[in-house]
Amino acid sequence: MKKIIKYIIIILMLAVLTSCVSSTVPGQGEDINIKVIVKKQNHEFWAVVEMGTEAAGREFGVNVDYIGPTSEEDIEGQIRMVEAAIEDKVDAIVLAAIDYERLVPAAEKAKEAGIPVVIIDSNINSDKMNGFVGTDNVEAGRVLGEAMVEAIGMNIDIVIVSFVKGASSSNKRETGVLEAVGRYPDINVLDVLYCNSEEAIAKQLTIDALNKYPDIDAFVCLNAYATVGTARGIIEMEKTSEIKIIGFDSTPEEIEYLESGSIELLVVQNPFSMGYLGVKYAIDAINGISMPKNVSTGTVVINKNNMYLPENQKLVFPFIN
Amino acid sequence: MKKDVRLKKKLNNVSNSFRFGSIQSVITLSFAALITIAMIMIGIAFFSTFSENAKNSATESTTQIMNQANLNLEFYLDSMVDIADMIENNIEGFTAGSTEKLAQILNITLEIREDIESITIFSDTGALLLASPGYKFDANLVAAGQAWFTYAAANPFEYIFQPPHVQRIYEGRRPWVVTLSRGITIEYPGGFRSYISVVDMNFSIIEEVCSQVELGRRGYIYIVDGEGQIIYHPQQQIIYAGLKDENIQKALFSETGSYLEKLNGESRSTVIMDVGTSGWKMVGVSYVDEIIQNRRNLSNIVIVILLFGIAFIIVASIFISYKISQPIKRLEHQMNRVERGDFNVENLEVKGEDEVKKLTRSFNLMIARIRQLMTQIIAEQEAKRNYELKALQAQINPHFLYNTLDSIIWMNENKNHEGVSAMTAALAKLFRISLSRGKEIISVSDEIEHAVSYLAIQKMRYKNKFEFTIDLPVELSGYSTLKLIIQPIIENAIYHGINKIPDKGLIDIKVEKEGQILVYSVADNGYGISGDRLETIFTSESTSKHSSGVGLKNVNERIKLYYGDEYGISIESEAEVGTTVFIRIPITEE
Repeated sequence: MKKIIKYIIIILMLAVLTSCVSSTVPGQGEDINIKVIVKKQNHEFWAVVEMGTEAAGREFGVNVDYIGPTSEEDIEGQIRMVEAAIEDKVDAIVLAAIDYERLVPAAEKAKEAGIPVVIIDSNINSDKMNGFVGTDNVEAGRVLGEAMVEAIGMNIDIVIVSFVKGASSSNKRETGVLEAVGRYPDINVLDVLYCNSEEAIAKQLTIDALNKYPDIDAFVCLNAYATVGTARGIIEMEKTSEIKIIGFDSTPEEIEYLESGSIELLVVQNPFSMGYLGVKYAIDAINGISMPKNVSTGTVVINKNNMYLPENQKLVFPFIN
Repeated sequence: MKKDVRLKKKLNNVSNSFRFGSIQSVITLSFAALITIAMIMIGIAFFSTFSENAKNSATESTTQIMNQANLNLEFYLDSMVDIADMIENNIEGFTAGSTEKLAQILNITLEIREDIESITIFSDTGALLLASPGYKFDANLVAAGQAWFTYAAANPFEYIFQPPHVQRIYEGRRPWVVTLSRGITIEYPGGFRSYISVVDMNFSIIEEVCSQVELGRRGYIYIVDGEGQIIYHPQQQIIYAGLKDENIQKALFSETGSYLEKLNGESRSTVIMDVGTSGWKMVGVSYVDEIIQNRRNLSNIVIVILLFGIAFIIVASIFISYKISQPIKRLEHQMNRVERGDFNVENLEVKGEDEVKKLTRSFNLMIARIRQLMTQIIAEQEAKRNYELKALQAQINPHFLYNTLDSIIWMNENKNHEGVSAMTAALAKLFRISLSRGKEIISVSDEIEHAVSYLAIQKMRYKNKFEFTIDLPVELSGYSTLKLIIQPIIENAIYHGINKIPDKGLIDIKVEKEGQILVYSVADNGYGISGDRLETIFTSESTSKHSSGVGLKNVNERIKLYYGDEYGISIESEAEVGTTVFIRIPITEE
């Protein structure tokens, strides 16, 4: 009897051992969760970014959670989102920073917690991030300048409508534009205006400039707000046939102006690629593969004639169901 | 604690008893090796069958899933074709009345079919004939420059599907659509007239059909038209953005079926199907990695099970072999003691397997038998010495010696010097042969001579009361015999036989050979022995005062001890007639 008990005990011990180890057998890979925090929800541009993140999530089999504040001025809200993501112990964060300086502490905290952070579209002032994916703004400005010269000529007077004075991206775009036109001695930069990303301000600035500088040939606008506001101003002043607009991005209103001829050309960014590559590099970071510090998603110059080409359609008309 | 110690001890026993070449190690190793090999083979067979099946069923299920999607898509395209046909059937020459009727039909269609973005009819020169209601025609559009117009115009009565593009027929509307256009020529009073009908499908149904298809975790389907233009691809934008390649050309020129391809270092299983008569191809892509991932998981599980199985088998076989070999080992241990000459081993506990039980039992029996034999041998040796001593003592019986010496003195007084000399010589010979330098075995002739010496002495003492004859064939005189076996018989014959009759006694001694047996017979014509006396003669000690006290029993026991039970003394006797005593011993050479 004792012996039987002894054998039963031995067999039970073996069974327990077996089950212990078999539970450590690698099963299906744990779900990878990536938090994408953008500048603003419900906006054409960010909706395309979201499509990019979703495409990457689907392709690489990871969960992508896409969030953003309702307003592009809600810096605190975005900081809270980053901190919540750290608390949730997500596997990686993809961030489009509203503010160049103020998102730094939260993003660095995430890095210290061992969470990879990939910045897209709008960078922050930190070299501790995994990398940046977005438009090379200096290059975008340069492209804008070159496209303008090609479309209008090299003997012109221009006004630049930038968005926020001192902001990193507007500074860089300005630098690019000035660099490009600087090579043409007969291009005259009459003024650089700042619309603070408000269409109404841009419109007013445009009207004022038209009055101040009667010889303007073209307005160079450095973001969508500046472009739309300037176009509205020129239409209101009925100067569409005389004055060209060189714009940035491709909101439906801008496309309308492009087709109607109010806008000469648009430099279009690649938000889809930003979203897609942001998630892709975040997955690489999780897997221990380092990414380049700066990844440029490129820009495309769109005008009335090439906007319906298959390769441009996707950029100009985002695929929203 | 106690249990611990016991378990430890047990484990120690198990490990100590494990030596290579021992039964335990042989059983353990062969057991473990055999079952391990068997398990590995089963594992491999199971695994390869399973993974092969998994691969096949992956392709099969991909095909099945795609078939469903394909059917849905065909059904959808057919419904578009139906609309194009309906336009053709109702166009009726574009008179005022018919236009109105057609416009009504189209209005209703647009209202029920949410997937139809717009329906437009152009003349063959590109002039707008019928627009979707409520939409403003875009004056900037040059219809004749659009692909959907030129293809349809060039291929009348064909259904022309245009891959997804931004449709720009109407102002302020820039939807993504797939366009079905068709050139129609109608006989008209006074000639023919051509129209182009344009049905724009808002893409959502196609995407819905395709994106619902899940081929593994990362697999997908895409659709290309006959020229390799992507109709639908879940990663269309990634591809347009140049972030990804798709092997469209290969799919385009492959027959319906499946093949394996490598793209960007990844192995993919691709299934191709035609979508009805549209000229489109549906391509299903699944990643072999995922199938392999499953296989890897499976192989991990199989390996872990195998490892544990093997570990279990090794432990189990060590215990089993220990159980089997332990009784054998105990047996071995006891045998070692026996080997060293220690027969005082206790009986082994009979346990273990059946064979071992039998072995233990036999060993126990053997040891018992050996012990018994040894005590028997010791007892026999003691008895032999005892009988021999008694036989020797009988020879120097003081009574006999005194009587004989008395006779010698008496003969000497009567000046019978010859008698003295003969008797003394006989006595000397008697004692010499009795002692025989301590030997137990002497020749038959010596034994007979000893008997003759005794008879001579007795004959002189009894004043020729009897006569005797000796018949010893020469060829038998050289055999060996136990000494001092005839003399006690003669003594009995004289004292109990002849002495009791008045007539002259006669003693005949014969030595004969019966096969391999030497037979001494001592026959007298004396008093004889009664039947009941004869029965107890070998068992009871002789009590006669004349006898030497050893008698028949002594002789008989000695013979039996020396030669075995089948030898010994037998007696034939008849009262008043005489007695014959036979002594049988085996024939042995000296």
